[in-house]
Amino acid sequence: MNKKRARLEVIFDILKVISEHHNSIKPTPLMRYSKLSSSNFSGYHGELISKGLIKEIRDHRGRKYITLTDKGFRYLEKYKLILGFINEFEL
Amino acid sequence: MIEPYFFDHIMSTELLFTIIAVVFCFLIYFKTKESYDLTKYKGIKYFRDAFLFLGLSYVLRFLFSPVLLPRITFDLIPPMMFMPFFILPMGYFSTIGIFYIILSSTWKKFNNRNFLIFGHGAAIALSVVSFIMRSHLILLYLQCTLLVIVVMLSFVMPDKGKKISQIKLLYILVAILWLINLFDVDRPGLLPLEMLFKIISLVVFAVIYHKISKWVK
Repeated sequence: MNKKRARLEVIFDILKVISEHHNSIKPTPLMRYSKLSSSNFSGYHGELISKGLIKEIRDHRGRKYITLTDKGFRYLEKYKLILGFINEFEL
Repeated sequence: MIEPYFFDHIMSTELLFTIIAVVFCFLIYFKTKESYDLTKYKGIKYFRDAFLFLGLSYVLRFLFSPVLLPRITFDLIPPMMFMPFFILPMGYFSTIGIFYIILSSTWKKFNNRNFLIFGHGAAIALSVVSFIMRSHLILLYLQCTLLVIVVMLSFVMPDKGKKISQIKLLYILVAILWLINLFDVDRPGLLPLEMLFKIISLVVFAVIYHKISKWVK
């Protein structure tokens, strides 16, 4: 499996974990559930924020949580179709 | 000299063909926008850009046609004076369109940046040479040569012994049909063979659009 395909899958897995935790999870458990090393996780974390797929929020005690944006939900919804498109057209 | 009746008939046929081809190209481009926005996947980017540039090439091909040029210039300026100015962008857009469609399924195999620079360099060189020579046939011969080289490098050599997949054949067909449509641009007519190639071109675009519609809602 190529590196880029794996990237799309990793992104899907991260977003799925957030969604399965009622769209609110702290960074450390997210990293653990996503099965990523901390350096890999921080790379994906920055990328997902810059792409607008996730955002960070803070509760009244100042604790940081990660949630999905609308775009993140759309990615989850469309992932399988996009993967099918990529496979069919050998992109 | 073409009879006015046939002149209008040829122009209507060319216009209809161009509109349908361009609509398919732009539909493919816009339909895949969300997939690219969500993933920023390079393969999707090259695929989309290929159809954007091919769509623009078909628009310019129609404008370049001697059927239309005398009408744009109202016969006041010889069409030959205008033609090179259409060849320049048409040469660039079509070459880069063909290059991107091949690149969309081979970008993982190559050093991406160098291959991209090669593509743009080749597109600029081809269009400038055709502009200087004032001939779309020069563009045609150069694009044929480039297509053979790129197809050999991208599809044939790395997959020795393997069959070329159906989708790659479809990509090659898109490029070949562009070249055929470019060949008859200065002598548009209603010959059965010309009509056949136009219909095949539209069918190929329709097939690609249909395949995309299955995945991209």
